[in-house]
Amino acid sequence: MALYSLFRSVRTEVVKGCLTQHVQSLYTSCPSLAAEKALLLKLRKSTGYTFINCKKALEKFNNDITQAESWLHEQAQMEGWSKASKLEGRKAREGLIGLIKGDNAAVMVEVNCETDFVARNEKFQQLVKDVASSIMAHLCSKKQTGYLKSELSPEDISKLHIPEGPSLADQVALTIGRLGENIGMRRAVSLVVPSDWHIGSYVHGMVPGQVGIDMGRYGSLVVFQGGPKEGTDTLGRKLGQHIVGEAPVSLGNMDDIPCGESETRLLPQTFLPDPKYTVGQYLISQDARVLDFIRFKCGESTSQEE
Amino acid sequence: MAALVSVRACLSALQLTSPSLLHSSYKLLAVPLSRRNFAAEAKKVFSRDKPHLNIGTIGHVDHGKTTLTAAITKVLAEAGGASYKTYEDIDNAPEEKARGITINASHVEYTTANRHYAHTDCPGHADYVKNMITGTSQMDGCILVVAATDGQMPQTREHLLLARQIGVEHVVVFVNKADAVEDKEMLDLVELEIRELLTEFGYDGENTPVVIGSALCALENKQPELGVDSIMKLLEVVDSFIPLPKRDLDKPFLLPIEAVYSIPGRGTVVTGTLERGVIKKGDECEFLGHSRSIKSVITGIEMFHQSLDRGEAGDNMGALVRGLKREDVRRGMVMIKPGSIQPHQKVKAQVYVLSKEEGGRHKPFCTNFMPIMFSHTWDMACLVELLPGKEMVMPGEDTSIILALRQPMALDKGQRFTLRDGNQTIGTGLVTDILPITENDKYNWG
Repeated sequence: MALYSLFRSVRTEVVKGCLTQHVQSLYTSCPSLAAEKALLLKLRKSTGYTFINCKKALEKFNNDITQAESWLHEQAQMEGWSKASKLEGRKAREGLIGLIKGDNAAVMVEVNCETDFVARNEKFQQLVKDVASSIMAHLCSKKQTGYLKSELSPEDISKLHIPEGPSLADQVALTIGRLGENIGMRRAVSLVVPSDWHIGSYVHGMVPGQVGIDMGRYGSLVVFQGGPKEGTDTLGRKLGQHIVGEAPVSLGNMDDIPCGESETRLLPQTFLPDPKYTVGQYLISQDARVLDFIRFKCGESTSQEE
Repeated sequence: MAALVSVRACLSALQLTSPSLLHSSYKLLAVPLSRRNFAAEAKKVFSRDKPHLNIGTIGHVDHGKTTLTAAITKVLAEAGGASYKTYEDIDNAPEEKARGITINASHVEYTTANRHYAHTDCPGHADYVKNMITGTSQMDGCILVVAATDGQMPQTREHLLLARQIGVEHVVVFVNKADAVEDKEMLDLVELEIRELLTEFGYDGENTPVVIGSALCALENKQPELGVDSIMKLLEVVDSFIPLPKRDLDKPFLLPIEAVYSIPGRGTVVTGTLERGVIKKGDECEFLGHSRSIKSVITGIEMFHQSLDRGEAGDNMGALVRGLKREDVRRGMVMIKPGSIQPHQKVKAQVYVLSKEEGGRHKPFCTNFMPIMFSHTWDMACLVELLPGKEMVMPGEDTSIILALRQPMALDKGQRFTLRDGNQTIGTGLVTDILPITENDKYNWG
């Protein structure tokens, strides 16, 4: 009111123009502040991007939430890359093993992060799933038959694409931007077997909550022939569990003589789920034959790196 | 409220006359602490004239946990209550061995006007859990660090989940990097959001103190209102908001029996170290363990062949008890205030299984594994039962398991124990829950 009386007392047209504008802006700025705040909170809640970026986005697009959101997504990708290059070289020893099993094919990957807090996060787990399923999709597209075991290096993995989506390298960068920790796809192995062979698998320290993929701290794949008609899955699982537990290094022969606690060959080892037998004896009783196995422990140092 | 006021008064006094004040308190520390009051603390190898608390920092990697810790030591160093530790000193969390378990943690100690703190900073979830199980530094409260620029991160949820899991009841929030945010409204929003999150995780989000500041400013002596002042405010809040843990002296007494003697003409004497509480001549007591429970009265207390009227936690003593024969009690039983502990046979526990490098087994174990459980002065065979969905436990892993003892023994929530098999230590654990015994469990032991 004071302003109005002031402006009435001054009769000059120019001054009048100036003041009315001023008064108008004063009048409108208060409610818009509250609205902005609500929008900011809403945007932050729906996207999960940092406050600073959400605010920038809203300012940039004049509070248009849809535009702001898409800009944020673009921005996140860029920021992810810059953050990824910044964090590169930081030690990432935690993480998860992801394992997907299909008909006659299986994929096991290791994705690392810096702290186990992140390994418990859904976004990280989603990334592990994306990586594993992309490799699986790639494997299926090749229509391979016969036995094939291939180990993928981090470079090979980064080149792959999420089915109808961005490349895995982009996806990793995005997740790094989101979680703020260095993340690396360390190694992966894929298996294809002929239709009369079986793949057994076991993941230890399972993380609940993800569908279609097993994730945990340890993982193993075992390729075997024969076994009972019903329950090859159970046999495969038991073998996988044994491999995770006893960490054999080599396969060994059926007629090897066990050499006690420090045995590192699979077949002469005492069978973990049933200590009455050695693995070899158990396999004979089940009429099965193990051909190959792979064991991943999260964060272990691999021979290639040393 | 009164406490808060007094804390404030003390802190302002600290600011004004801090060098002399703290100096004098330091002199106090130098006095040999032979007074009886400190006997309770003696067991923890810790004795000071100020109440001690363990706190820790949790939060996202880049949000400045370590910078905050450095800033706290710096600010208090200026007041004489700490020695300044640089970021680098704290950051390379040394591997330390507690009960043979490797934990990555850095410990910093400092003193405010009225409390002494041990500050723990661990890099990972597993490290905090190991800390809890071994009891090296159970956290009485913690500071959640959130950067104002980012707000809570996706993994902040996991941090709070952890705090819940390891039993931290009191959380104080420090919103860091406030200097990097120009708009003060943003700070309000960050605060609002973190309060919401705290409430979601069952903390008192509305009343949890949130301090806004910048650890970096404090380190670099810039913008004192965001830097040094905020650190002081944080310490003030920690002093007042996180309550002192219950002292061992205030708890009902417990004496694990080390040996039993029969003294001709006097009667039966049990010896041991009083773990908690206070006993007086004439107190009623109860003996528990090995499926026995006997009530009696303490007729005399002796320490170093001298008679005492009163024994306190930490004292290694002998207690003469009325009307008991030597055969009635044995090592491994506990003498307690009647009714304060019940014997139990089945418990749920959080255990850490030693890895091979730490001297544990190299093999995993499954359900029906039968180790020996050692706790207080007793040992007892027990049967391991893994929780549903868990098929085996690998070395180097922490997990929740169910243990069924062969005989009921004195067990209490929060009691620590060790599991051994043959001549090997398998792991350390903490009782988290008491379970009722079922018919099936009895059958298992034949």
